[in-house]
Amino acid sequence: MERQIISKKKQVFSVEPTKLSPSEVFTRKYTSHLVPALKKLNMDKNSSQINQVTVKHEVDMALALSAQEFAWGRFLLQKLSSADSKSSSSNQTQILERSNDEDGEIEEKMKELQELLPGGKEMNVEEMLSEIGNYIKYLELQTSALKTIVQDTT
Amino acid sequence: MDLTGLRWLQQQQMVPPEFLQMLGSDGREELRRVENYLGHNLDVLQSFRPGYDTTIDGCISRTSSFQMEPVKNNEENRVIALLNKRKPEGKTEKREKKKKIKAEDETESSMKGKSNMSNRETSSDIQKQDYIHVRARRGEATDRHSLAERARREKISKKMKCLQEIVPGCNKVTGKAGMLDEIINYVQSLQQQVVFLSMKLSFINPELEFHINELSSMMVDSRSFPLHQQGSLDYSVINSNQTTSLGAKMETSSSWDVHSHCPYNNLRTDSVSSLFSLK
Repeated sequence: MERQIISKKKQVFSVEPTKLSPSEVFTRKYTSHLVPALKKLNMDKNSSQINQVTVKHEVDMALALSAQEFAWGRFLLQKLSSADSKSSSSNQTQILERSNDEDGEIEEKMKELQELLPGGKEMNVEEMLSEIGNYIKYLELQTSALKTIVQDTT
Repeated sequence: MDLTGLRWLQQQQMVPPEFLQMLGSDGREELRRVENYLGHNLDVLQSFRPGYDTTIDGCISRTSSFQMEPVKNNEENRVIALLNKRKPEGKTEKREKKKKIKAEDETESSMKGKSNMSNRETSSDIQKQDYIHVRARRGEATDRHSLAERARREKISKKMKCLQEIVPGCNKVTGKAGMLDEIINYVQSLQQQVVFLSMKLSFINPELEFHINELSSMMVDSRSFPLHQQGSLDYSVINSNQTTSLGAKMETSSSWDVHSHCPYNNLRTDSVSSLFSLK
């Protein structure tokens, strides 16, 4: 692999602005948040335990910071910065009782969705549905970014 | 109401000619029923709109937006809908195919002259913009709550359709409940993936230090440097011939079209969704 190293600590600017699609923008933002954070973690802890919680925290933080244009992103950021020392509760795998009632079933599922989405409880159903779409997309991007990071270092 | 009045109406392009035929023969009965029905309600209607001409001498309907008494008879509903048909104006919001209830204050009063008509038109013009135009289909209630309810439901189903396109495997399932199930499963699986990957990341983190500079350099795609500063990372610029895996993934995404029907569609993650599938 040829690599031309121009300079170590130089900032690089381009002459013309380039058009980036939102997924590129997000991926770039995300990695630029996450990678320095991980590096910092490494240097701070210095081979002592790097528990999963802090890594997960950084991962979520990076997501929240890169998705500030969405309500769920802002909410996530709020939640993370306020609950810094506490361990994150696993709210992702909750097994809810599903009632057999026809009408209530859909309501229940909507509620479940609301709990999955950060900040979903404070939204009404319509808002939540549009936010969920964004959330899914950005989760996918996040997973692909994480995969790349993991793959490239192993 | 005699036919001359109706012909005047036709000239105003309010009534299709076939309707005249219908009226000529047996439609009159219908119309009379409608008149009678509405005639009873006129007092009630007047209380809502004080500024209007009260004499409704054999003219059919004065439908006001959301202030109308619920029309019980289906036939009348249809007739009123026909009579209220107007030339389409540009300002109506939320106009969908079959869904356009006249919400304006229109008068079919053929008896009054054109001057009255124009007066009412101007004032009804002002009122038009405030209302959501939804047409009641045959057999459906037309009161305010059910209309709002229906509009809301349509919004929701529209969004569900968008979601259907995002979530893989949703095409096979129909119905709200099934789709919601799929969506829930998908979101949960994505979140679990993130957890799993971050766990993996924490395991390999010690080795990360060696690679961190490589990583940071790989994040930068040389073909698209952003204009702003990237922060205080140590960057080493890659040769333009080299493409990174992350860069390759970025290339597959298409541009964002904010005004498209479904805003999520253009945010493609084909490579990702092919990596895992729910079914």
